[in-house]
Amino acid sequence: MSRTATTLIRLAMLIVFLGAWEVLPRAGIVNPMLLPPLSQVLAVLGDILARSDFREAMAVTAAEVVVAFVIAVPIGGALGVLLAENAYLGAIFRPMLFYVFSIPKSIFLPMFILAFGIGFGQKVAYATFSTVFIVIMSAGAAVESVKAEYILVAQSYGASRGQILRRIYVPSMMPILLEAVRISMIFNFTGVMIAEMYASRTGVGHMIANWGENFMLPQLFAGVIVLALAAMAFNELIRSLEARCSRWRS
Amino acid sequence: MQQVAQLKPNPGPARANAVEVIGVSHVYHGREGAVPALTDIDMTVPAGRFTVIVGPSGCGKTSLLMMLAGLRTPTSGTILCDGRPIPSPDPQRVGVVFQEASLYPWLTAVENVEFPLALKGGPRGERRARAEAMLKLVGLDSFGGRYPHELSGGMKQRVSIARGLVQDPPVLLMDEPFAALDEQTRMTMGHELLRIWDETNKTVVFITHSLTEAVYLADEVLVMSARPGRILDRVAIDLPRPRTYQMMATDKFGQLRERIWQQIRAKE
Repeated sequence: MSRTATTLIRLAMLIVFLGAWEVLPRAGIVNPMLLPPLSQVLAVLGDILARSDFREAMAVTAAEVVVAFVIAVPIGGALGVLLAENAYLGAIFRPMLFYVFSIPKSIFLPMFILAFGIGFGQKVAYATFSTVFIVIMSAGAAVESVKAEYILVAQSYGASRGQILRRIYVPSMMPILLEAVRISMIFNFTGVMIAEMYASRTGVGHMIANWGENFMLPQLFAGVIVLALAAMAFNELIRSLEARCSRWRS
Repeated sequence: MQQVAQLKPNPGPARANAVEVIGVSHVYHGREGAVPALTDIDMTVPAGRFTVIVGPSGCGKTSLLMMLAGLRTPTSGTILCDGRPIPSPDPQRVGVVFQEASLYPWLTAVENVEFPLALKGGPRGERRARAEAMLKLVGLDSFGGRYPHELSGGMKQRVSIARGLVQDPPVLLMDEPFAALDEQTRMTMGHELLRIWDETNKTVVFITHSLTEAVYLADEVLVMSARPGRILDRVAIDLPRPRTYQMMATDKFGQLRERIWQQIRAKE
Protein backbone atom coordinates (compact mmCIF):
# COMPACT_ATOMS: atom_id res chain seq x y z
CA MET A 1 0.00 0.00 0.00
CA SER A 2 1.27 3.46 -0.83
CA ARG A 3 2.13 5.92 1.91
CA THR A 4 -0.58 8.38 0.90
CA ALA A 5 -3.21 5.64 1.08
CA THR A 6 -2.01 4.68 4.57
CA THR A 7 -2.13 8.33 5.66
CA LEU A 8 -5.64 8.76 4.23
CA ILE A 9 -6.89 5.66 6.02
CA ARG A 10 -5.41 6.86 9.31
CA LEU A 11 -7.02 10.27 8.83
CA ALA A 12 -10.36 8.63 8.01
CA MET A 13 -10.16 6.54 11.19
CA LEU A 14 -9.49 9.65 13.26
CA ILE A 15 -12.51 11.39 11.71
CA VAL A 16 -14.70 8.33 12.35
CA PHE A 17 -13.50 8.23 15.98
CA LEU A 18 -14.21 11.94 16.58
CA GLY A 19 -17.51 11.70 14.68
CA ALA A 20 -18.61 8.71 16.77
CA TRP A 21 -17.68 10.60 19.94
CA GLU A 22 -20.09 13.34 18.83
CA VAL A 23 -22.90 11.26 17.33
CA LEU A 24 -23.18 8.22 19.63
CA PRO A 25 -23.94 10.19 22.85
CA ARG A 26 -26.30 12.55 21.00
CA ALA A 27 -28.21 9.65 19.46
CA GLY A 28 -28.49 8.06 22.92
CA ILE A 29 -26.57 4.93 21.83
CA VAL A 30 -23.99 5.72 24.48
CA ASN A 31 -25.05 7.25 27.79
CA PRO A 32 -24.17 10.98 27.44
CA MET A 33 -23.70 11.14 31.21
CA LEU A 34 -20.75 8.78 30.83
CA LEU A 35 -19.52 10.06 27.48
CA PRO A 36 -20.50 13.65 26.80
CA PRO A 37 -20.47 14.63 23.08
CA LEU A 38 -17.17 15.98 21.74
CA SER A 39 -18.60 19.45 21.04
CA GLN A 40 -19.68 19.80 24.68
CA VAL A 41 -16.25 18.65 25.90
CA LEU A 42 -14.51 21.15 23.61
CA ALA A 43 -16.72 23.98 24.83
CA VAL A 44 -15.85 23.09 28.43
CA LEU A 45 -12.18 22.77 27.45
CA GLY A 46 -12.27 26.42 26.29
CA ASP A 47 -13.80 27.42 29.61
CA ILE A 48 -11.39 25.57 31.86
CA LEU A 49 -8.36 26.72 29.91
CA ALA A 50 -9.46 30.27 30.73
CA ARG A 51 -9.85 29.47 34.45
CA SER A 52 -6.97 30.59 36.65
CA ASP A 53 -7.26 27.61 39.03
CA PHE A 54 -6.81 25.20 36.09
CA ARG A 55 -3.85 27.16 34.80
CA GLU A 56 -2.25 27.10 38.22
CA ALA A 57 -2.88 23.37 38.44
CA MET A 58 -1.23 22.91 35.04
CA ALA A 59 1.78 24.94 36.16
CA VAL A 60 2.14 22.83 39.31
CA THR A 61 1.84 19.56 37.40
CA ALA A 62 4.29 20.71 34.74
CA ALA A 63 6.80 21.75 37.42
CA GLU A 64 6.49 18.37 39.17
CA VAL A 65 6.97 16.50 35.91
CA VAL A 66 9.97 18.57 34.86
CA VAL A 67 11.74 18.48 38.24
CA ALA A 68 11.26 14.71 38.67
CA PHE A 69 12.45 14.14 35.11
CA VAL A 70 15.52 16.32 35.54
CA ILE A 71 16.43 14.38 38.70
CA ALA A 72 15.60 10.85 37.52
CA VAL A 73 17.14 10.86 34.04
CA PRO A 74 20.70 12.00 34.86
CA ILE A 75 20.88 9.95 38.08
CA GLY A 76 19.43 6.85 36.44
CA GLY A 77 21.63 7.37 33.38
CA ALA A 78 24.80 7.70 35.47
CA LEU A 79 23.93 4.64 37.58
CA GLY A 80 23.07 2.62 34.48
CA VAL A 81 26.39 3.48 32.81
CA LEU A 82 28.30 2.74 36.03
CA LEU A 83 26.68 -0.67 36.49
CA ALA A 84 27.23 -1.57 32.83
CA GLU A 85 30.86 -0.45 32.76
CA ASN A 86 31.89 -1.81 36.17
CA ALA A 87 31.47 -5.59 36.05
CA TYR A 88 31.83 -5.95 39.81
CA LEU A 89 29.16 -3.42 40.80
CA GLY A 90 26.98 -4.68 37.95
CA ALA A 91 27.11 -8.26 39.20
CA ILE A 92 26.02 -7.11 42.66
CA PHE A 93 23.29 -4.61 41.85
CA ARG A 94 21.80 -5.51 38.48
CA PRO A 95 19.83 -8.59 39.59
CA MET A 96 18.37 -6.58 42.48
CA LEU A 97 17.37 -3.79 40.12
CA PHE A 98 15.76 -6.33 37.86
CA TYR A 99 13.59 -7.58 40.72
CA VAL A 100 12.65 -4.09 41.89
CA PHE A 101 11.86 -3.05 38.33
CA SER A 102 9.17 -5.73 38.11
CA ILE A 103 7.25 -4.41 41.13
CA PRO A 104 4.41 -1.93 40.46
CA LYS A 105 5.69 1.30 41.97
CA SER A 106 2.20 2.52 42.96
CA ILE A 107 2.08 0.15 45.94
CA PHE A 108 4.76 2.28 47.59
CA LEU A 109 2.69 5.45 47.29
CA PRO A 110 1.31 5.33 50.88
CA MET A 111 4.90 5.21 52.16
CA PHE A 112 5.77 8.27 50.12
CA ILE A 113 2.84 10.12 51.66
CA LEU A 114 3.99 9.17 55.16
CA ALA A 115 7.54 10.25 54.40
CA PHE A 116 6.95 13.36 52.28
CA GLY A 117 3.37 14.50 52.90
CA ILE A 118 1.08 15.30 49.98
CA GLY A 119 2.82 18.36 48.53
CA PHE A 120 5.20 19.13 45.69
CA GLY A 121 8.11 17.19 47.22
CA GLN A 122 6.13 13.99 47.50
CA LYS A 123 5.04 14.16 43.85
CA VAL A 124 8.60 14.71 42.72
CA ALA A 125 9.96 11.96 44.98
CA TYR A 126 7.39 9.42 43.89
CA ALA A 127 7.71 10.25 40.14
CA THR A 128 11.51 10.06 40.41
CA PHE A 129 11.19 6.67 42.09
CA SER A 130 8.78 5.50 39.35
CA THR A 131 11.16 6.58 36.61
CA VAL A 132 14.67 5.91 37.79
CA PHE A 133 14.64 2.13 37.30
CA ILE A 134 13.67 2.21 33.64
CA VAL A 135 16.40 4.82 33.07
CA ILE A 136 19.02 2.62 34.76
CA MET A 137 18.04 -0.38 32.66
CA SER A 138 17.96 1.58 29.40
CA ALA A 139 21.29 3.28 30.03
CA GLY A 140 22.80 -0.16 30.66
CA ALA A 141 21.39 -1.39 27.36
CA ALA A 142 22.79 1.70 25.62
CA VAL A 143 26.29 1.00 26.96
CA GLU A 144 26.04 -2.60 25.83
CA SER A 145 25.23 -1.41 22.30
CA VAL A 146 28.83 -0.15 22.08
CA LYS A 147 30.62 -3.20 20.71
CA ALA A 148 34.16 -4.00 21.80
CA GLU A 149 35.29 -4.05 18.14
CA TYR A 150 34.20 -0.41 17.71
CA ILE A 151 36.60 0.59 20.46
CA LEU A 152 39.40 -1.67 19.25
CA VAL A 153 39.20 -0.17 15.74
CA ALA A 154 39.32 3.35 17.14
CA GLN A 155 42.31 2.45 19.33
CA SER A 156 44.14 0.97 16.36
CA TYR A 157 43.78 4.35 14.66
CA GLY A 158 45.22 6.06 17.71
CA ALA A 159 41.99 7.50 19.17
CA SER A 160 42.30 9.11 22.62
CA ARG A 161 39.85 8.32 25.43
CA GLY A 162 38.00 11.55 24.77
CA GLN A 163 37.74 10.76 21.07
CA ILE A 164 36.43 7.27 21.82
CA LEU A 165 33.81 8.75 24.13
CA ARG A 166 32.72 11.43 21.65
CA ARG A 167 33.03 9.54 18.38
CA ILE A 168 32.09 5.99 19.46
CA TYR A 169 30.09 5.95 22.69
CA VAL A 170 27.88 8.96 22.00
CA PRO A 171 26.71 8.14 18.45
CA SER A 172 26.37 4.44 19.22
CA MET A 173 24.30 5.04 22.35
CA MET A 174 22.27 8.02 21.14
CA PRO A 175 19.26 6.21 19.61
CA ILE A 176 18.80 3.99 22.66
CA LEU A 177 19.28 6.93 25.04
CA LEU A 178 16.63 8.98 23.24
CA GLU A 179 14.27 6.05 23.37
CA ALA A 180 15.02 5.80 27.09
CA VAL A 181 14.20 9.50 27.53
CA ARG A 182 10.91 9.02 25.71
CA ILE A 183 9.87 5.98 27.70
CA SER A 184 11.01 7.43 31.02
CA MET A 185 8.78 10.42 30.40
CA ILE A 186 5.82 8.04 30.16
CA PHE A 187 6.74 6.49 33.51
CA ASN A 188 7.45 9.91 35.02
CA PHE A 189 4.20 11.51 33.86
CA THR A 190 2.25 8.47 35.05
CA GLY A 191 3.95 8.73 38.44
CA VAL A 192 2.99 12.38 38.88
CA MET A 193 -0.61 11.70 37.79
CA ILE A 194 -1.08 8.76 40.15
CA ALA A 195 0.37 10.70 43.05
CA GLU A 196 -1.86 13.70 42.30
CA MET A 197 -4.99 11.61 41.91
CA TYR A 198 -4.32 9.61 45.05
CA ALA A 199 -3.74 12.45 47.50
CA SER A 200 -3.15 16.08 46.63
CA ARG A 201 -4.47 19.61 47.02
CA THR A 202 -3.56 20.79 43.55
CA GLY A 203 -2.44 19.68 40.09
CA VAL A 204 -4.33 18.56 37.00
CA GLY A 205 -4.47 14.96 38.24
CA HIS A 206 -6.10 16.14 41.45
CA MET A 207 -8.68 18.16 39.47
CA ILE A 208 -9.45 15.20 37.21
CA ALA A 209 -9.97 12.92 40.21
CA ASN A 210 -12.30 15.53 41.73
CA TRP A 211 -14.28 15.95 38.52
CA GLY A 212 -14.71 12.21 38.36
CA GLU A 213 -15.94 11.95 41.94
CA ASN A 214 -18.45 14.73 41.27
CA PHE A 215 -19.65 13.26 38.00
CA MET A 216 -18.42 16.25 36.00
CA LEU A 217 -17.55 14.28 32.91
CA PRO A 218 -17.23 17.10 30.34
CA GLN A 219 -14.58 18.69 32.60
CA LEU A 220 -12.93 15.33 33.16
CA PHE A 221 -12.65 14.67 29.42
CA ALA A 222 -11.39 18.22 28.81
CA GLY A 223 -8.63 17.55 31.34
CA VAL A 224 -7.86 14.23 29.69
CA ILE A 225 -7.50 15.96 26.32
CA VAL A 226 -5.04 18.51 27.73
CA LEU A 227 -2.87 15.81 29.34
CA ALA A 228 -3.03 13.51 26.33
CA LEU A 229 -1.94 16.30 23.97
CA ALA A 230 0.95 17.27 26.25
CA ALA A 231 2.15 13.66 26.54
CA MET A 232 1.87 13.04 22.80
CA ALA A 233 3.65 16.28 21.94
CA PHE A 234 6.69 15.34 24.06
CA ASN A 235 6.71 11.79 22.72
CA GLU A 236 6.63 12.97 19.11
CA LEU A 237 9.36 15.56 19.73
CA ILE A 238 11.74 12.88 21.03
CA ARG A 239 10.68 10.47 18.32
CA SER A 240 11.63 12.97 15.62
CA LEU A 241 15.06 13.37 17.27
CA GLU A 242 15.36 9.59 17.43
CA ALA A 243 14.58 9.30 13.74
CA ARG A 244 17.30 11.84 12.99
CA CYS A 245 19.89 9.94 15.02
CA SER A 246 18.87 6.49 13.79
CA ARG A 247 19.00 6.84 10.03
CA TRP A 248 21.95 4.43 10.14
CA ARG A 249 20.00 1.70 11.89
CA SER A 250 18.65 -1.01 9.63
CA MET B 1 62.06 -26.79 8.22
CA GLN B 2 62.93 -24.19 5.63
CA GLN B 3 63.73 -20.70 6.74
CA VAL B 4 62.79 -19.21 3.41
CA ALA B 5 62.14 -15.63 4.41
CA GLN B 6 65.57 -15.25 5.97
CA LEU B 7 67.27 -16.71 2.91
CA LYS B 8 65.74 -14.23 0.49
CA PRO B 9 68.04 -11.32 -0.23
CA ASN B 10 66.75 -7.88 0.72
CA PRO B 11 65.76 -5.87 -2.34
CA GLY B 12 67.92 -2.96 -1.17
CA PRO B 13 68.88 -0.91 1.87
CA ALA B 14 65.88 1.42 1.51
CA ARG B 15 63.50 -1.54 1.43
CA ALA B 16 64.56 -3.33 4.58
CA ASN B 17 62.30 -5.49 6.66
CA ALA B 18 58.93 -3.88 7.23
CA VAL B 19 58.06 -6.19 10.10
CA GLU B 20 60.42 -8.04 12.41
CA VAL B 21 59.31 -10.26 15.26
CA ILE B 22 62.19 -11.53 17.38
CA GLY B 23 61.69 -14.17 20.05
CA VAL B 24 58.19 -13.08 21.00
CA SER B 25 56.32 -15.02 23.67
CA HIS B 26 53.08 -14.10 25.33
CA VAL B 27 51.32 -15.30 28.46
CA TYR B 28 47.75 -14.39 29.36
CA HIS B 29 46.63 -14.05 32.93
CA GLY B 30 43.05 -15.21 32.82
CA ARG B 31 40.69 -16.85 35.29
CA GLU B 32 42.48 -20.19 35.04
CA GLY B 33 45.81 -18.55 35.80
CA ALA B 34 48.65 -18.03 33.38
CA VAL B 35 47.94 -19.33 29.86
CA PRO B 36 50.82 -19.34 27.40
CA ALA B 37 49.43 -17.98 24.12
CA LEU B 38 52.53 -17.58 21.95
CA THR B 39 55.92 -19.26 22.23
CA ASP B 40 59.11 -17.95 20.73
CA ILE B 41 57.79 -16.45 17.51
CA ASP B 42 60.34 -15.27 14.96
CA MET B 43 59.07 -13.67 11.81
CA THR B 44 60.47 -11.35 9.19
CA VAL B 45 58.46 -9.67 6.48
CA PRO B 46 60.51 -7.77 3.89
CA ALA B 47 58.97 -4.53 2.64
CA GLY B 48 56.39 -5.02 -0.07
CA ARG B 49 55.86 -8.70 0.64
CA PHE B 50 52.61 -10.52 1.27
CA THR B 51 52.80 -12.85 4.28
CA VAL B 52 49.91 -15.05 5.35
CA ILE B 53 49.61 -16.66 8.78
CA VAL B 54 47.47 -19.79 9.07
CA GLY B 55 46.76 -21.94 12.08
CA PRO B 56 43.99 -23.53 14.12
CA SER B 57 41.49 -21.41 16.06
CA GLY B 58 42.86 -20.05 19.30
CA CYS B 59 46.49 -20.42 18.25
CA GLY B 60 47.25 -16.81 19.02
CA LYS B 61 47.25 -15.49 15.44
CA THR B 62 45.03 -12.59 16.39
CA SER B 63 47.13 -11.87 19.50
CA LEU B 64 50.20 -11.68 17.30
CA LEU B 65 48.44 -9.30 14.94
CA MET B 66 47.31 -7.11 17.87
CA MET B 67 50.97 -6.89 18.94
CA LEU B 68 52.07 -5.93 15.44
CA ALA B 69 49.44 -3.18 15.57
CA GLY B 70 50.72 -1.91 18.93
CA LEU B 71 47.41 -2.81 20.59
CA ARG B 72 49.04 -5.36 22.90
CA THR B 73 52.48 -5.74 24.41
CA PRO B 74 54.14 -9.15 24.31
CA THR B 75 55.35 -10.68 27.58
CA SER B 76 58.82 -10.99 26.09
CA GLY B 77 60.60 -10.45 22.81
CA THR B 78 60.87 -7.59 20.35
CA ILE B 79 58.56 -6.34 17.62
CA LEU B 80 59.92 -3.89 15.09
CA CYS B 81 57.78 -2.16 12.55
CA ASP B 82 59.62 -0.15 9.92
CA GLY B 83 62.75 -0.72 12.04
CA ARG B 84 61.30 0.75 15.24
CA PRO B 85 59.38 -0.74 18.18
CA ILE B 86 55.62 -0.16 18.23
CA PRO B 87 54.61 0.28 21.89
CA SER B 88 51.23 1.83 20.99
CA PRO B 89 49.13 2.06 17.82
CA ASP B 90 50.71 4.16 15.10
CA PRO B 91 48.35 4.46 12.12
CA GLN B 92 51.06 6.23 10.11
CA ARG B 93 53.08 3.00 10.13
CA VAL B 94 50.43 0.29 10.44
CA GLY B 95 46.87 0.09 9.15
CA VAL B 96 44.55 -2.65 10.40
CA VAL B 97 41.66 -4.33 8.59
CA PHE B 98 39.51 -6.22 11.07
CA GLN B 99 37.10 -9.10 10.81
CA GLU B 100 33.72 -8.27 9.42
CA ALA B 101 31.33 -5.78 11.04
CA SER B 102 34.05 -3.46 12.26
CA LEU B 103 32.66 -0.52 10.30
CA TYR B 104 30.80 2.11 12.30
CA PRO B 105 27.13 1.67 11.41
CA TRP B 106 26.33 5.31 12.17
CA LEU B 107 28.84 6.59 9.61
CA THR B 108 28.45 6.40 5.83
CA ALA B 109 31.02 4.49 3.78
CA VAL B 110 33.06 7.61 3.03
CA GLU B 111 32.84 8.79 6.65
CA ASN B 112 34.09 5.40 7.82
CA VAL B 113 37.08 5.67 5.50
CA GLU B 114 37.67 9.23 6.70
CA PHE B 115 37.45 8.22 10.37
CA PRO B 116 41.23 7.76 10.98
CA LEU B 117 41.88 11.15 9.35
CA ALA B 118 39.13 12.79 11.37
CA LEU B 119 40.88 11.64 14.57
CA LYS B 120 43.96 13.55 13.50
CA GLY B 121 42.12 16.68 12.40
CA GLY B 122 43.21 18.74 9.42
CA PRO B 123 41.27 20.40 6.59
CA ARG B 124 37.90 18.75 5.98
CA GLY B 125 37.99 19.01 2.22
CA GLU B 126 41.38 17.31 1.99
CA ARG B 127 40.27 14.52 4.31
CA ARG B 128 37.14 13.89 2.30
CA ALA B 129 39.03 13.95 -1.00
CA ARG B 130 41.54 11.44 0.36
CA ALA B 131 38.73 9.14 1.61
CA GLU B 132 36.99 9.33 -1.76
CA ALA B 133 40.22 8.46 -3.56
CA MET B 134 40.55 5.37 -1.35
CA LEU B 135 36.97 4.33 -2.12
CA LYS B 136 37.81 4.65 -5.79
CA LEU B 137 40.88 2.46 -5.31
CA VAL B 138 38.72 -0.31 -3.84
CA GLY B 139 36.11 0.10 -6.57
CA LEU B 140 33.37 1.75 -4.51
CA ASP B 141 33.50 5.35 -5.75
CA SER B 142 29.73 5.63 -6.21
CA PHE B 143 28.83 4.10 -2.83
CA GLY B 144 30.33 6.69 -0.47
CA GLY B 145 26.97 7.92 0.79
CA ARG B 146 25.66 4.50 1.81
CA TYR B 147 25.46 3.28 5.38
CA PRO B 148 27.08 -0.09 6.17
CA HIS B 149 23.72 -1.85 6.46
CA GLU B 150 23.04 -0.82 2.86
CA LEU B 151 26.21 -2.54 1.62
CA SER B 152 26.87 -6.23 0.88
CA GLY B 153 29.44 -8.18 2.92
CA GLY B 154 32.08 -7.84 0.21
CA MET B 155 31.46 -4.10 -0.15
CA LYS B 156 31.80 -3.64 3.61
CA GLN B 157 35.20 -5.30 3.55
CA ARG B 158 36.25 -3.11 0.63
CA VAL B 159 35.36 -0.11 2.79
CA SER B 160 37.41 -1.62 5.64
CA ILE B 161 40.39 -2.00 3.33
CA ALA B 162 40.01 1.60 2.15
CA ARG B 163 39.93 2.68 5.80
CA GLY B 164 43.09 0.67 6.52
CA LEU B 165 44.88 2.34 3.61
CA VAL B 166 43.66 5.91 4.07
CA GLN B 167 46.71 7.08 6.03
CA ASP B 168 49.01 5.38 3.56
CA PRO B 169 50.83 3.21 6.11
CA PRO B 170 53.64 1.04 4.74
CA VAL B 171 52.23 -2.00 6.57
CA LEU B 172 48.69 -3.37 6.34
CA LEU B 173 47.54 -5.99 8.87
CA MET B 174 44.47 -8.03 8.01
CA ASP B 175 42.69 -10.26 10.53
CA GLU B 176 40.55 -12.80 8.66
CA PRO B 177 38.98 -10.02 6.65
CA PHE B 178 37.01 -12.29 4.33
CA ALA B 179 36.02 -15.00 6.83
CA ALA B 180 32.35 -14.05 6.86
CA LEU B 181 31.97 -13.86 3.07
CA ASP B 182 30.56 -16.55 0.82
CA GLU B 183 33.06 -18.56 -1.21
CA GLN B 184 32.54 -16.71 -4.47
CA THR B 185 32.76 -13.24 -2.95
CA ARG B 186 35.78 -14.39 -0.99
CA MET B 187 37.63 -15.40 -4.16
CA THR B 188 36.75 -12.11 -5.86
CA MET B 189 37.87 -10.15 -2.81
CA GLY B 190 41.17 -12.04 -2.66
CA HIS B 191 41.81 -11.18 -6.28
CA GLU B 192 40.84 -7.54 -5.65
CA LEU B 193 43.17 -7.40 -2.66
CA LEU B 194 46.07 -8.55 -4.81
CA ARG B 195 45.29 -5.82 -7.33
CA ILE B 196 45.18 -3.18 -4.57
CA TRP B 197 48.39 -4.56 -3.04
CA ASP B 198 50.07 -4.37 -6.43
CA GLU B 199 48.92 -0.78 -6.96
CA THR B 200 49.87 0.45 -3.48
CA ASN B 201 53.08 -1.53 -2.83
CA LYS B 202 52.17 -2.30 0.79
CA THR B 203 53.63 -4.89 3.10
CA VAL B 204 50.74 -7.15 4.07
CA VAL B 205 50.38 -9.53 7.00
CA PHE B 206 47.16 -11.48 6.49
CA ILE B 207 45.53 -14.00 8.82
CA THR B 208 43.18 -16.66 7.52
CA HIS B 209 41.73 -20.10 8.16
CA SER B 210 41.47 -20.87 4.46
CA LEU B 211 44.48 -22.71 3.05
CA THR B 212 43.38 -22.00 -0.53
CA GLU B 213 43.19 -18.31 0.25
CA ALA B 214 46.61 -18.49 1.94
CA VAL B 215 48.36 -20.11 -1.03
CA TYR B 216 46.55 -17.90 -3.54
CA LEU B 217 47.54 -14.64 -1.86
CA ALA B 218 50.90 -15.20 -0.21
CA ASP B 219 54.58 -14.82 -0.97
CA GLU B 220 55.15 -16.80 2.17
CA VAL B 221 52.81 -18.75 4.45
CA LEU B 222 53.62 -19.11 8.14
CA VAL B 223 51.97 -22.15 9.69
CA MET B 224 51.20 -21.87 13.39
CA SER B 225 50.54 -24.65 15.89
CA ALA B 226 47.62 -24.87 18.30
CA ARG B 227 48.02 -22.99 21.57
CA PRO B 228 50.56 -22.08 22.67
CA GLY B 229 51.20 -20.84 19.15
CA ARG B 230 54.56 -21.59 17.61
CA ILE B 231 55.64 -21.30 14.00
CA LEU B 232 55.70 -24.85 12.64
CA ASP B 233 56.70 -24.11 9.08
CA ARG B 234 57.47 -21.32 6.66
CA VAL B 235 56.30 -22.13 3.17
CA ALA B 236 57.54 -19.99 0.28
CA ILE B 237 54.82 -19.70 -2.34
CA ASP B 238 56.79 -19.46 -5.56
CA LEU B 239 53.80 -19.27 -7.89
CA PRO B 240 54.25 -16.54 -10.49
CA ARG B 241 52.46 -13.21 -10.21
CA PRO B 242 49.96 -11.96 -11.13
CA ARG B 243 48.08 -14.88 -9.66
CA THR B 244 45.11 -16.27 -11.56
CA TYR B 245 42.18 -18.45 -10.55
CA GLN B 246 43.47 -21.11 -12.97
CA MET B 247 46.54 -21.59 -10.78
CA MET B 248 44.34 -23.14 -8.09
CA ALA B 249 43.87 -26.17 -10.33
CA THR B 250 47.61 -26.75 -10.85
CA ASP B 251 49.66 -29.50 -9.19
CA LYS B 252 52.01 -26.94 -7.73
CA PHE B 253 49.14 -25.17 -5.96
CA GLY B 254 47.83 -28.47 -4.67
CA GLN B 255 51.24 -29.53 -3.36
CA LEU B 256 51.74 -26.26 -1.48
CA ARG B 257 48.28 -26.48 -0.02
CA GLU B 258 48.87 -30.10 0.96
CA ARG B 259 52.16 -29.31 2.66
CA ILE B 260 50.47 -26.68 4.85
CA TRP B 261 47.55 -28.99 5.58
CA GLN B 262 49.87 -31.79 6.71
CA GLN B 263 51.60 -29.43 9.14
CA ILE B 264 48.34 -28.33 10.71
CA ARG B 265 46.79 -31.81 10.76
CA ALA B 266 49.85 -33.50 12.27
CA LYS B 267 49.56 -31.34 15.38
CA GLU B 268 45.83 -31.68 15.97
